[in-house]
Amino acid sequence: MPSEPATSLLIFLAVAQATAAGMLVAARLLRVRARAPARLKDTTYECGETATGVTWVRFHARYYVVALFFVIFDLEAVFLLPWALGARDLGPGGFVAVAGFVGVLMLGWFWALRKGSLRWQ
Amino acid sequence: MPPWIQVFALELAVTATALVVLVCDALRPCRARTLAWFSVAALATALCTSFVVEPAGTAPHGVYAAGPWSLFFERLFLAAGILGVLGSLDWLESRVARRPAEYLFLMLMSLVGAMLLAGARDWVLLVVAFELMGIPLYVLAAYAKLDGPPGEPQLAAEAALKLYVTGAASTALTLFGLALVIGAGGSSSLAGLASPDVAPLASAGMLLVLAGFGFKLGAVPFHMWVPDTYQGAPTPFVAFLSVAPKAGGLVALVVVLLHGWPRHHELWAPALGVIAAASMVVGNLFALPQRDARRLLGYSGVAQMGYVLVAVCARSESGVAMALFFLVSYVFTNFGVFLVLHAAAENSGGHALDQITGLSRRSPWLGAALLLFVLSLAGIPFAVGFWAKLFVLLAAFEAGLVGLVVTGVVLSVVALFYYLSVARSTFMADGRSAEPVRAGLALRAAISLCLAAVLGLGLWPGPLLAQARLAAAAFGGGP
Repeated sequence: MPSEPATSLLIFLAVAQATAAGMLVAARLLRVRARAPARLKDTTYECGETATGVTWVRFHARYYVVALFFVIFDLEAVFLLPWALGARDLGPGGFVAVAGFVGVLMLGWFWALRKGSLRWQ
Repeated sequence: MPPWIQVFALELAVTATALVVLVCDALRPCRARTLAWFSVAALATALCTSFVVEPAGTAPHGVYAAGPWSLFFERLFLAAGILGVLGSLDWLESRVARRPAEYLFLMLMSLVGAMLLAGARDWVLLVVAFELMGIPLYVLAAYAKLDGPPGEPQLAAEAALKLYVTGAASTALTLFGLALVIGAGGSSSLAGLASPDVAPLASAGMLLVLAGFGFKLGAVPFHMWVPDTYQGAPTPFVAFLSVAPKAGGLVALVVVLLHGWPRHHELWAPALGVIAAASMVVGNLFALPQRDARRLLGYSGVAQMGYVLVAVCARSESGVAMALFFLVSYVFTNFGVFLVLHAAAENSGGHALDQITGLSRRSPWLGAALLLFVLSLAGIPFAVGFWAKLFVLLAAFEAGLVGLVVTGVVLSVVALFYYLSVARSTFMADGRSAEPVRAGLALRAAISLCLAAVLGLGLWPGPLLAQARLAAAAFGGGP
């Protein structure tokens, strides 16, 4: 007799597998079949819009920096929100802790700024 | 300031140093030399202060326990940090002068992660510290992407990618294993898995965690990245990589196995024994045919981790103490051997064994230092490595692990062969050039510190042994 969490996990796994497999089988049974391999079926958008260019273009590295900046501020929100909810109970100690956290993040931001990460050229 | 903040005093000091280095350079670009000497001074001050004011106590919710055990490792890592910065200083100044602050910042932050590991008593803190130690290493490995030694293929990007992919995979393994273990125990405390008989899922989780830490240690069968990364990454960084994260991985493993799961040893002890034996066999045998000194030392490092795991297998307080002694010996010896190699390669343009021939003619001092370091790694008496190997095998023998002891002793003889082949290259007369080897002041200082430690502890191992026993007693190793 396996222990309780193991049983529930196995049930969960089985249901997940069955759902995924069931969807694929249902799609195969229900789908509309093209009579012959049509050229239109192979286009990106089957509604008639022609795709231009290829997807394997290189994005400029500056987008990567923008993404990193986004992560800095995104991460800040993740931590600030729970603090904002409990700010009253946490009192000044909580404020100091959060200020320290934001301060360290700002140091990183300041460093990136000084190193010219926001220069667009 | 809450009163418990003082348990993190040393970590906070190193973090502050790292931030100061980063911000100073951002405000006004500084020379590598200035920033590096500042870091060395700060780390040395922290190290000296730790002997005067010893942080002790616990952090709220028992997530961190400071005491002689954590202090032992904090001191070890501070020493490794000093050696790491000193060893990189001349190379930073001459090769990568454009971005020294980031190099130092990443190295110091990696150090903070390693320092936090020994005292961590909660899974969340342990994993965050482990990643804080690991993630900067990926960046550092690729630091000299195009600035490797002239005349060798530029392999730093490959080295970093291999380190990154295996590191990320090992983290994934650890986290998945942890999810199972925490799920079974219902608590994120390290000792949360209280009951000795656990569900099969939790035992699978334990083995996954063991495998995840095995990657960082570079223990067989998780050692594939070691030789490639050592060969491609900048050598002063490899000196750091070959000791600090390995010591970090080992302390994490000891804390998890002997503090978290001492009652589950039937589950993990056999697996650990197999890993230890396999590391000794594979590491020592694969080192034999290597022609590149860094690859050779990579496999030698794998084998050395096998020896220290033997001490962990003993599951006794003396076993833990001997593992600590071994780690200290390994840190200074391996640092020394890599730094001498770096000095030699900077002057002869390569790390192949036949490119360091005649080193003793070109610089008698470096040749003698290299000889002493490889003898210590091989475990020849009156170098600290001899005591380290002896103590580890004695502790294992006391615990009745005769098979592992015999494996260790037999393979020590095999190891002697390749360690002495390094020494033979050094002292072989027909070197390619007769120019004297030039090494900067900081590099010479770092090598001298390693040399002093290897010789001093080899002739006088008593005080370190007492410290290691004290730390192990404070840890309360063993069930």
